[in-house]
Amino acid sequence: MKAAAFDYRSAESVAQAVALLAEGDTRVLAGGQSLGPSMNLRLARPQRLVDVKRVASLRAVAADDAVCSLGAGWTHAEIEDGVVPDFSCGLMARIAQGIAYRAVRNRGTLGGSLAHADPAADWVNTVVALAGTLVVEGPGGQRRIAAADFVRGAFTTALQGNEMLVAVELPRLGQKSRWGYHKLCRKTGEFAKAIGIAVLDPGRGLARVLAGAVEAAPVPLPLAAKQLWEAGPAAAIAVLDDEVAARLADLAPAERMLRVVAVRRAIEALAEG
Amino acid sequence: MQVSLTVNGQRRDLLVQPRMHLADALREVLNLTGTHLGCEQGVCGACTVLVDGVPQRSCITYAVDCADAVVTTIEGFDADPTMTALREAFSAHHALQCGFCTPGMLVTARDVVLRLGEVTEARLREELAGNICRCTGYVGIVDAVAAVAKGRQPEARREVRLAEPRQAAPLVEAMPREAPRLARPGGAAMLEERVALTATPDAAWAALADLRRVAECLPGAQLDSVDGEHVTGRVGVALGPIKASFAGAGTVALEAATRSGKLSGRGRDGASSAEGEVGWQVLPGDAGGSVLSVQLSWRLTGPLAQFGRAALVRDLVRRLAQEFAANLDAMVAGQAPPPARQLGLFALLWSVLRAKVLGR
Repeated sequence: MKAAAFDYRSAESVAQAVALLAEGDTRVLAGGQSLGPSMNLRLARPQRLVDVKRVASLRAVAADDAVCSLGAGWTHAEIEDGVVPDFSCGLMARIAQGIAYRAVRNRGTLGGSLAHADPAADWVNTVVALAGTLVVEGPGGQRRIAAADFVRGAFTTALQGNEMLVAVELPRLGQKSRWGYHKLCRKTGEFAKAIGIAVLDPGRGLARVLAGAVEAAPVPLPLAAKQLWEAGPAAAIAVLDDEVAARLADLAPAERMLRVVAVRRAIEALAEG
Repeated sequence: MQVSLTVNGQRRDLLVQPRMHLADALREVLNLTGTHLGCEQGVCGACTVLVDGVPQRSCITYAVDCADAVVTTIEGFDADPTMTALREAFSAHHALQCGFCTPGMLVTARDVVLRLGEVTEARLREELAGNICRCTGYVGIVDAVAAVAKGRQPEARREVRLAEPRQAAPLVEAMPREAPRLARPGGAAMLEERVALTATPDAAWAALADLRRVAECLPGAQLDSVDGEHVTGRVGVALGPIKASFAGAGTVALEAATRSGKLSGRGRDGASSAEGEVGWQVLPGDAGGSVLSVQLSWRLTGPLAQFGRAALVRDLVRRLAQEFAANLDAMVAGQAPPPARQLGLFALLWSVLRAKVLGR
């Protein structure tokens, strides 16, 4: 199908985009790789799109010893290819490579995916797993939201209608960091049935384990993370069944098992890597 | 709107509506019909063209969004040596039959060959996964691309652009929050949520008996008429970028003895239809308060039902019930009516999308 009629504006700056958002029924268009299909299917019929592709500040990268900040406008392919400097010991590039297909990755953006907040999308789960912080800007300036508070549920974020996501702050993983990422898909590039993430950074004291693609906000597994930190991968895997059962009690047993398997494989990948 | 593009080496000025996607602009305005349209949802890959040198889906990219871009369609590769080799290999390996997927397949294959060089068959199949062919079974296509890629080195990576370093603000370490209160297990299309209210059972029940006030507490709901036990109204849905309004009619039954009520109704928005029931009961709670039990059940009918994603719907319903209870509590306590909000209940729309659509 074709999209319903809409007005199109291109913004040169975040301030200009935010001003247009404040006028109502306007959606931010970044890569449009999720919004475009929804509009073609007439599931979304915004009156107006404000295109932020040409906003230079959305492609800033900065880092200090502890934290890196990535502009929201980087494409998945640029992260995959290392065009964006890597502060994650390869985690971000590896995840980017598994997002949809190359033609989609060439246009879809980090920030667009996060603002869309599909529970099965890779970055939504990644930023919560890494306990990142999202920087959003509205008429009153910028505010920073912990990733776990940003993702409220399926397709629902803490973004107000007149705000847009401008950057993502993630911990800068040390050289001794290890990580594992496992995505269960029926077909390459399809939406994930389950996502498992495990990250261990001895230098920063960071240990995180997360079950994702749960059709709701991602679910951190702090008990498994504690085991991973204190007793190693095998001990973390040993508590997975119980912790996933406790935290995802409303999922059918087979659905829970998918998450357990994805997380277990992520921890195994961490142990091997 | 006017938009200028460079297409196959020629500068073209087009007058297009914003809603026209790039593939239609190429096909309908410029008569470049080599770009094919299969799904128009970014899944099948038939419409893949080069935009600024990299493959992109022209069906989920608007022409106005490509201002000043350099576009190369299948018609623009006549003199390209890699594409020449691919064309010959596709012919030799029987990598096409009906030819519908071939333009997109070739554009993707050329990118794989140049970007990655020779790779394993498994990687090659992954890279080609975004282009669907319904004739060949892919064996010939994989063989053809592998033959052209054989012995090649990946091309040099794009230059790394480093921005001016700045001092990033310190990270807020978010501790994992407690898991949300989970619904008790039950049928796939039924959910109960219990929420403690500060109001006494009698006060809560009195508030619930006023249907208009109850509707005000249900995010996105609006009652248009109440006639005895018959009501009409609508439920607005806002789920991410999606907005819909289900208009419908229902019946209400109240039972004062058990302080319980039930509203069942059905609604339609275009081709989608949903049928649901919300039941509520006020139970005595701690310290003079009460407990509101909300049971929601729903059924999707029509062709969309087969795409149901029970877990996704359950999450939305759970949030809906929690918000309903919180609003009700505020209303009983005499606070201002809740701000108008919409929360998606009819996630069936997304189910359709998710069954077919890619791109995040």
